[in-house]
Amino acid sequence: MAQLTWTRFAHPWSGETWDAFEGLRRGVDELFARAGHEGLFRSAHGVHPPVNLYENADGFVLTAELPGLKLEEIELAVHGNRLSIRGERKISYPDDGRTSLHRRERQVGRFRRAVELPAAIDSEKVEASYRNGVLLVKLPKSAAHRPRRIEVQAQ
Amino acid sequence: MTNQSTTTHEGSATPELRSREKQALERETTRGGPVFRADVDIVERADEYLVTADLPGVESNDVQVRLEGGVLSIETTRGFVPEPGWTPVYSEYVSGGFYREFRLSDQIDVGRISAKMHDGVLELHLPKAEQHRTRRIEVTS
Repeated sequence: MAQLTWTRFAHPWSGETWDAFEGLRRGVDELFARAGHEGLFRSAHGVHPPVNLYENADGFVLTAELPGLKLEEIELAVHGNRLSIRGERKISYPDDGRTSLHRRERQVGRFRRAVELPAAIDSEKVEASYRNGVLLVKLPKSAAHRPRRIEVQAQ
Repeated sequence: MTNQSTTTHEGSATPELRSREKQALERETTRGGPVFRADVDIVERADEYLVTADLPGVESNDVQVRLEGGVLSIETTRGFVPEPGWTPVYSEYVSGGFYREFRLSDQIDVGRISAKMHDGVLELHLPKAEQHRTRRIEVTS
């Protein structure tokens, strides 16, 4: 009997071509995601921080770029399906008369942001982490909203 | 010990932070993907320049700082990458790499440049070469 073996390279779209297709697929996904939430996207304009929301097997993952903070300095609260993020970014340089500021682009100030999630969240299980200036909040859906798998047993 | 005051951005009242659109740069990269202009602060002190750059999502290993012909460049090779099982629901910003370059007017003591990353912020100390330092001359009575 002939044996068929799959190797990584057997795929006609392996390597670069495949990556290009994968990139295209992701781009299209993102475009649709954006179009579907245009209302939210527009209302959020200018409000800090901009966020990205992903869906995974457990629920949602929210990310936001907040460089130069500590997790303790970011206040997070969940009420139903609403997540709020608050904090303040402070930057100061000593004003000793011998320091001159050539450029100041990094923004400072208070921020407050609320994000409406598409489904109810299990607030007990929300986990936040902060790494390399990116806030990452894992928001598992509440049990009632999670798809249940029903095992079908063979007789 | 002298009493050191600090400057705040816009007077004493804390401003509301408004997000700005990240500025994408037209830059060819080997890895593809967008490259953004990093926001920086540049402070000059008597003996050094302090360059601080916001590079959210970047690991310290993925930052390249170069000083060539008086041009300082900051480049990241890899930024935040979402996990494979995450499907975007909506996105308000794009993750990517960062780039920035500056021409330095003073000579820098290249051997003593130091850089460190913390919480997505690069802090670069560029000591001025000895002959370019501001000297304080003590006036004695």
